[in-house]
This record gives sequence, structure tokens and C-alpha cells, in this order.
Amino acid sequence: MKKLLFVLGMFLILCNSAWAEKEIVFATDATWPPMEFVNDQKQVVGYAIDYMTAAGKEAGFKAVFKNTAWDGIFAGLAASKYDAVASSVSITEKRKKAMDFSEPYFTVRQALIVAKDSAAKSLEDLKGQKVGGQIGTTGYFTIKTVDGLEAKSYDEVGLAMEDLNVGRIAAVVCDDPVAANYALDKYKDTLKIAAVMESGEVENYGVAVKKGNKEILDLINKGIAAVKEKGIDKELQEKWIGQ
Amino acid sequence: MNVVEPIIQIQNINKYFGAFHALKNVSLDIAPGDKIVVLGPSGSGKSTLLRTINKLETIDSGTIIVDGHDLTDPEEDINAIRMELGMVFQSFNLFRHLSVLDNLTLAPVKLKKMEKSQANDIALRLLDKVGLRDRAGHYPIQLSGGQQQRVAIARALAMEPKIMLFDEPTSALDPEMIGEVLDVMVTLAKEGMTMVVVTHEMGFAREVADQVVFMDQGAIVEQASPDVFFDNPQHQRSKLFLQQIL
Amino acid sequence: MSKDDITKIEVGDGAAIPSPDDKGLVSAWWVALIGTVGMLIALPVLKPDPYLTILKFVPDGIVVTFEVTILAIVFAIIIGLLTGLGRLSSNRFINMIASLYVEVVRGIPLLVQLFYIYFALGRIVRVPDIVAAVIAMAFCYGAYMGEVFRAGISSIDHGQTEASLSLGFDKKQTMAYVVLPQAWRTILPPVGNEFIALLKDTSLVSILAVADILRRGREYAAESFNYFETYTIIALIYLLITLLLSKLISAMEYRLSHYERR
Repeated sequence: MKKLLFVLGMFLILCNSAWAEKEIVFATDATWPPMEFVNDQKQVVGYAIDYMTAAGKEAGFKAVFKNTAWDGIFAGLAASKYDAVASSVSITEKRKKAMDFSEPYFTVRQALIVAKDSAAKSLEDLKGQKVGGQIGTTGYFTIKTVDGLEAKSYDEVGLAMEDLNVGRIAAVVCDDPVAANYALDKYKDTLKIAAVMESGEVENYGVAVKKGNKEILDLINKGIAAVKEKGIDKELQEKWIGQ
Repeated sequence: MNVVEPIIQIQNINKYFGAFHALKNVSLDIAPGDKIVVLGPSGSGKSTLLRTINKLETIDSGTIIVDGHDLTDPEEDINAIRMELGMVFQSFNLFRHLSVLDNLTLAPVKLKKMEKSQANDIALRLLDKVGLRDRAGHYPIQLSGGQQQRVAIARALAMEPKIMLFDEPTSALDPEMIGEVLDVMVTLAKEGMTMVVVTHEMGFAREVADQVVFMDQGAIVEQASPDVFFDNPQHQRSKLFLQQIL
Repeated sequence: MSKDDITKIEVGDGAAIPSPDDKGLVSAWWVALIGTVGMLIALPVLKPDPYLTILKFVPDGIVVTFEVTILAIVFAIIIGLLTGLGRLSSNRFINMIASLYVEVVRGIPLLVQLFYIYFALGRIVRVPDIVAAVIAMAFCYGAYMGEVFRAGISSIDHGQTEASLSLGFDKKQTMAYVVLPQAWRTILPPVGNEFIALLKDTSLVSILAVADILRRGREYAAESFNYFETYTIIALIYLLITLLLSKLISAMEYRLSHYERR
């Protein structure tokens, strides 16, 4: 009986890999609601997850997601631990030197979140105070561009929100969909979005792949193009962000 | 026997270690200036009896009165009573982290609030007495066993006690060192110190003791002057003990 | 009586503290030190980008690491002393509290405790992150320290206590003048070990967004993607610090043991 099960199992595995479409493993730091996060059924879900799954359907690959801590997520990509990073990665010049990016799949701005009773309207209003952001994010880099702020980096944006909530820091800077999720939902009684910052240039999320990995990049780009063409991205925005 | 009020009155004391009956209805009076030598086989309760006198062992019934203080009275300050009772241990128990001089001055300075210089003077005089003045700056580990025990006696004397308790002071010593310690004890006895000595040194008992107390199985079997005890013991167990020892 | 009847407490973790008698460890210490210093000089000189940049980025993190370590160890020693005495207390209630504290703390991973105390404190009082980190570390290490103190105090021959009591000292004076000064000798090596272990464990507070060496390094790496180079430097800095500390503790231990030498 055991032997039979084993043979059957092997057969299924062989079939599966032989018949299955190309699999692309996306690393994602699922602490960034609503873009990518873990829901109460312990599944990794969110806008980016649905988006890449849809892109896979269009372009003929199977999107698999691997929940990975943000700190070190690019080191893992460089070490080929996965094929791509779909984790609200903003496309920046600096990052482009270290990795290749897909076409943008979401346009984002940085939001400033403060306590409900705060009068601050911009980062300049918070001189001399502590402002938090997630380590290695554009939000954190934005804080560091303003002189006179004490920038504080967190492993997860949720920890920064908790510290803001109890008053250890004065503000948090993060991507606007995430900001909305926290300030308008989870902490709606204590926090608010003070401003959405226009940083001058448009900030886009792209999927990052290892430098030179053209095969994967082309597949992903094909999928993203199809999703945009069919208007699936609009549906997903409706579903996850409600704008 | 004595018309003077005893300085130590032990009345009907009992002591148990769990189920073991260590002291059985023991009574003993000790007059000021008395030298009492307690003899007996090991496990006879002689050390336990000695240790009840400064309350290192508590008793389960009976009373012990030391210099007018009832040890069983919880109101009595045991620490004040202990200052009047010097004790010398089998294993010396010198404070290892202190020099010989500091071993002698610690208690007078901390407890009697004595000036350090005065305590030093007293300490050096006592070290002279035990023949160890030149070792004042040494640490206990640097001394031989006999020297350590002499320092331990000086340490106890530094508090100027009324009574000295000796718990087998020579049992842990190499034979060639026993004499130097006994010499110090004999000198002390001649000066009139009240002493209670638990020992196996029969020569010392004969020479120094006013009374010999023989214990066996937790009880006092015989109490007599050394001449009577050694030459003409009254009890069978005393005779047996002396036969084995001598 | 033997000269060597001082009880050594067995040590399970922490850095290797070289004793002057351990020739193998002493020479290993020199090799490690020279290697570490050599690399910390050679790497930035030979490849200033990124090594020199990293070295310039982390110093304030080193200061924070030391701040947290030293404050935490001071409080941990105080808590540890009280806990150790509590664990040896004949008072049932005090004994129970001290034992309960040790049981609870030892049963929960340090990282979990750090998170717990950090966020629990946040709900009650508004204290700076570094204070929260120190409280959390001290609370945890206090329990370990308590066991070290308990073992150290228990290792002192009971005869010392009896001699002290027989002179007229009360229990507290006996502890203060006789037992603790000797227990230090036994306690110092494991305390030194805990100190170094604590210094290494402060790297965990970087998770609480305290800007220590590790977090500074991670911030740099997250921006520059020079992960390998950054962690090389961070590892070397930690190693250099622990090497120097272990030597310092070994020297202190030697000084404290003066009365054990003939």
C-alpha cells in the first residue's frame, strides 16, 4: 500500500512538473497592507498578489509567493533565492543600478502619518522630532532627505505605526495605500494622514529581478501589459484600495 | 560545688535533627572561670551541645541562659549575646578574603564601632600573644593550619568575650601543629578565661579541665573532675571509651 | 584544607575568557585580535568604497550598543543580586517571588520578552526606546544574573557564615562583610560572561528600532545593497569589542583573586 502511494505520488509530481506552466517565485514582504500582507487565514494576499497572479494567467506563468523579510530581500534576489521581488518596490535610480525592474504596476506617493491631535502638515514641521519609516524604503529615505529630523528605521512598518500610536515617535512616512490602510482603518481613532507628499517625480512600483535576468523580466512585462490592457488593474484597485 | 552564680545554665535541653534525637535532656551549669572539657565518641552530641550555647543550633525544648540572657527568649538580641561568646571552629573558618590583621579587626570595628587604629593595636597585641605578629599582613591561605587556628583564637579574643567555645580545635591539624594551638589554649586557661572545649586531646583535658563532661548518644553520661574521670571512671560507657582512646 | 576549594561555576555560553593559565586560549586570543584589527584596517584602506563608508556610518551605533549594554548590565546586576538573595531567603514569600521571576524569564525567549516589554511598556508609560530596551534587557538578564549570584553565594563555605555569626554579626552584615566579598571572586567570571553575552544580545534591540551597531549597518546595507561588506564590518566590530572585553574581565578576575595566591 505504501509503495503504491509512493509510485502514485511520484507519478503526480512528474506529471505536474511536465505539464505545469513556467513557475515564477516572487519574494514579498507581506507586512505592507493592502499591497501585500497576511490575512487572517494566514494566506499572503493583497493587490500585488492578485496583480501578479493575473499577470501570470495572461502571460502563461504560475506566480508563487514567498513571504520574505524586507531587510535582506534584495540580497536574496542577488543570491537567486527567488526569481523576482514583488513587494511594493519603488523604482529608483539607485536600485536600478543593483537590479532590473519591470514596467510599473502601481503609482504611489509618500504619505505622512501623525497622531490625530498633531498640527504637523509636513516633515518640515517636525524638526527635532523622531520620524519613523521602514528600513530601506523610499519612505525612510524621504525622512533622511529632510535636515533636523531624527530618522528611525523599523523592520516592519507596523512596528513604526505602533510606536507612533503610543507616542514614541512623532510621525511615520510610508506609501500612501499603506498609510490609508493604517490611518483610515486600524488606527483610525488615534492616527491621521497629515499630508501626501509630492516628491516631484512620480514614484512607481515595479517588480525587481536579478540584473540581466531577461527571460523572467520579459514574461512579467508581458503579463503586466496584458493586465493593464484588459483593465484588470482597475478592478484590483477597486477591490483592495477602493479608490 | 560552686557558690557563685553560673555564667552558663543549660537546663533539660532537647534537640532533634529530623527524627534523630541529638540531645537528650541535657543539663549543665558552668561557673565563671570554669574550664569544661566535653569528651565523647563522634556522634555523641558534644559539638551540637557546644553550638547550642551560641545558638548556632536552636533547641527544641529546655532553656539555656548565658550571662543572664535566655537564649530561648525571642526578645533577646542574639547578636549581642554572641559578642560575649568567642568561638573557635575545627576548620578555623578564617575570612579568606581578609588579611590576618583585618580578620581580627573586622568585628571590633564594625560591631563595637572601635577606631581602626585602636582595633589594630589590640589585634597586634593578640597576635603577639599567639606568636604571629609577623604574619599580620598575610592572607589565611598563606598560613599553616596551626597558624590559622591560632589566628582564629586571636580573632575570637579580639571581641573580648567572657566565654570561649572551642569545637574540636585541633582535629583538623597535622600532629606536629597540635601543640602550638594547645599552648595558646593553656595560656588562655591560666589567665582565667571561662572555656568550654570539645576535644579528643586527653592530655589537655587532664591538664586544664576543672570538670570533664562525658557524653554518649546525646546524653551526659558522667561529669567529674579529670582525676576522677581518667583514673576512676564511674560508668561502664566511660570506661569503654577510655579503653578505646588511651 | 585545600587551596583550590573555590567552586568554579560552569559556564555554558558567552565568550571564552582567557585565564592566564590557559595557554591555548591566550594564543588564540592574540591570533583573533591581530586578525580582526588587521582586517579592520586593511579592508577600508584597500577598498575604501564601501568599507570606509561603512566604518564611517556605524560609530554612533557602537555608542548606542555600549549605552544599552552598560545600563542593562548595571540594572541586571542589581536585580540579579536581589534575586539571588531572594532565592536563598528563608522567607517563603520572598523566595517564591524570586523563584517565580526566574522561572518566567528563563522560559521565554529573549526576543519575545523584548517585544513584549517594549510594546507593553508603550501601553503604560511613554519612555524613550532606548530606556525600554534597557529595561527589557535588564529584566531578562537579571534572572540569569540571579542564578549566578545564587550559585556564587552558595559556593561560599558555610563555615564562613558561622564564624561571622559567632562574632556577633547579623545575617545581613555577614552577607555584606563576609560572604559577598568572597562570592564576587566566584561570581565575576560568569558575570563577565553574561556581560559579553548581553553585549552580543543587544543586537536584538535593533529589532525595536534602537539604532545600535547592527541597525546602523542594516540601514546602510538596505540603501547600498552592500550586504556582504556591511555584515563583514559589523561582525569584525563585534568581535573586536568582545575580544577586548574578555581580556579586561580576565585581568579583573586575576586582580580580585589576590588573596587566593600564596
